[in-house]
Amino acid sequence: MQKSPLLTRRELLKVGSGLSVGSLLPFSGLSASTLRTQAHIVIVGGGAAGMAMVNRLARRLRGGTITLVEPRETHHYQPGWTMVASGIWAAERTTRLNAQFLPRGVKWLRDYADSIDADSKRITLVSGETLEYDFLIVASGIQLNYHLIDGMTPALVGQHGIGSVYAGIEGASRTNQAIQTWLQSGHGRGIFTAAPTPVKCAGAPLKMTFTTLSRLEDTGRRDAFDVDYMAPGASLFSQPWVDEFIKQRFDSQGVNRRHHYRLSAIDPQAKQAEFAFVGPESEFTSHHQLREAEFRRDDQPTVIADYDFLHVVPPMSAHDFVKQSALIAQDGPFRGEWLDVDIHTLQHNRYPEVFGIGDVIGAPINKTAASVKAQAPVVEENLLAVMQGNALPASHSGYTSCPMITGIGKAMLVEFGYADNFAFMPSFPFIDPTEESWAVWVMKDRMLQPAYYAVLEGKA
Amino acid sequence: MSINGMLTILMYALAPFRWLLIMGLIIIIALHLLTYRRGYKITHHRSRLTNLLALLIGLTAILWIPWLTHSTLGYVATVFDWIALLGAAAATSVMAFIILHPLSYLISFQDKE
Repeated sequence: MQKSPLLTRRELLKVGSGLSVGSLLPFSGLSASTLRTQAHIVIVGGGAAGMAMVNRLARRLRGGTITLVEPRETHHYQPGWTMVASGIWAAERTTRLNAQFLPRGVKWLRDYADSIDADSKRITLVSGETLEYDFLIVASGIQLNYHLIDGMTPALVGQHGIGSVYAGIEGASRTNQAIQTWLQSGHGRGIFTAAPTPVKCAGAPLKMTFTTLSRLEDTGRRDAFDVDYMAPGASLFSQPWVDEFIKQRFDSQGVNRRHHYRLSAIDPQAKQAEFAFVGPESEFTSHHQLREAEFRRDDQPTVIADYDFLHVVPPMSAHDFVKQSALIAQDGPFRGEWLDVDIHTLQHNRYPEVFGIGDVIGAPINKTAASVKAQAPVVEENLLAVMQGNALPASHSGYTSCPMITGIGKAMLVEFGYADNFAFMPSFPFIDPTEESWAVWVMKDRMLQPAYYAVLEGKA
Repeated sequence: MSINGMLTILMYALAPFRWLLIMGLIIIIALHLLTYRRGYKITHHRSRLTNLLALLIGLTAILWIPWLTHSTLGYVATVFDWIALLGAAAATSVMAFIILHPLSYLISFQDKE
């Protein structure tokens, strides 16, 4: 598809009429950087990314309409789910009401998006209501494709020794119970898996392994338990130094690493898991594509493993309504699965009035709340530039951050970006990203959640 | 990060302890008001026991602060970890002194009466 002109003359007039006026009103109470507009901006998704954009745009725009499409009343602090699933936090600590973060003047539609017609600039909701937009921000997050593992459903989490930190806050709580049941049994085999697709918080499966190792060691009977980690690719983590560190640490803590296996099926009653060997030549790492059709290949050899505890990480993708729209990537590593944006400007590659932020975008890394913190100001500045017909001023470095928990009570602050093969980008000169630290653990335990809420409010 | 951003983070971080902090502050202010009315001055009153107790509380904080954060002293490893922990322990010591010092005056005042 040809890239369409940025804006039509009518659209330029729509946003431009009040531009200079707004910034010349000394007693209007508006900052000089606000933009007068009549445009309708729709934000799909009210998670970390969507809520941050709602707040930022509500402050920057005057006269336009901002509509948020978000069905849930409750906002979940998802980075806290590993703490809940590890038995450290109570589940209640991770929830707030969405209304608490929503600024005045924003129209909130409590509904799911059903389809996007990007050519007509129209969104249809599940209720049948349609929305026409001038500008669209896709912040719809990620879809958990448990159905791509035969026999697996989220309802199984907490039963038959199955855990999954990704299965919502209830799933995280039930994962903790499943681990506790395994610990109380006094012996057995735990299998931790990773997904053959990009996943949100790619460190979470590793953190779950490390915190469970801490709990196993606390029983005083570590030798009675076997722990396996099944990785679909050669690497365990995208940042090369951290990848090597984790491999060494797993080896020294008695974790049996097996590479190039993906979880293909489970038999919950028999407590058996089937793994498909995808081969060392495959690109089935968490940073490469694996389309749905490839899950159905019959030529892959499989192995069956008995387990007493199984941590399931589902394959993930953009939501179906995004995948079925013209906004999905058409080629390249993210084709058919993720939103097609420029990974630096976060503008859609073919629809300039569309931006993407958060987990939904096709990017080699960046499915974390910390990435949202870095992406939100970029989307804000670039969207306002597009509304004014200007060149895009802001660029995203790919910054992402993972407080890599290496045991209950210690962590490493791993921050990195796109450049130089995911080189470290430390925020604090006094924190070494290669050192395990109590202070970093305290940040994870006490400070990152407040920082997250500041991001939601557009203040950080 | 902006000052406003930092204040927002701090506000959220302290929110769960809001009532505890308010109660603690009220107790400290009330204690100091009560003792000042009876002639207490922080620079004039001497109490070796108070100093020792405040120091001990600060030292034991090195053990229980990691425990309060679901960790252990064994994981306090980096230079920054130790600076943070010693800073927290010193602050605990100062807080203990601020409470114990006027209390010791009050006790000695009552003994004199």
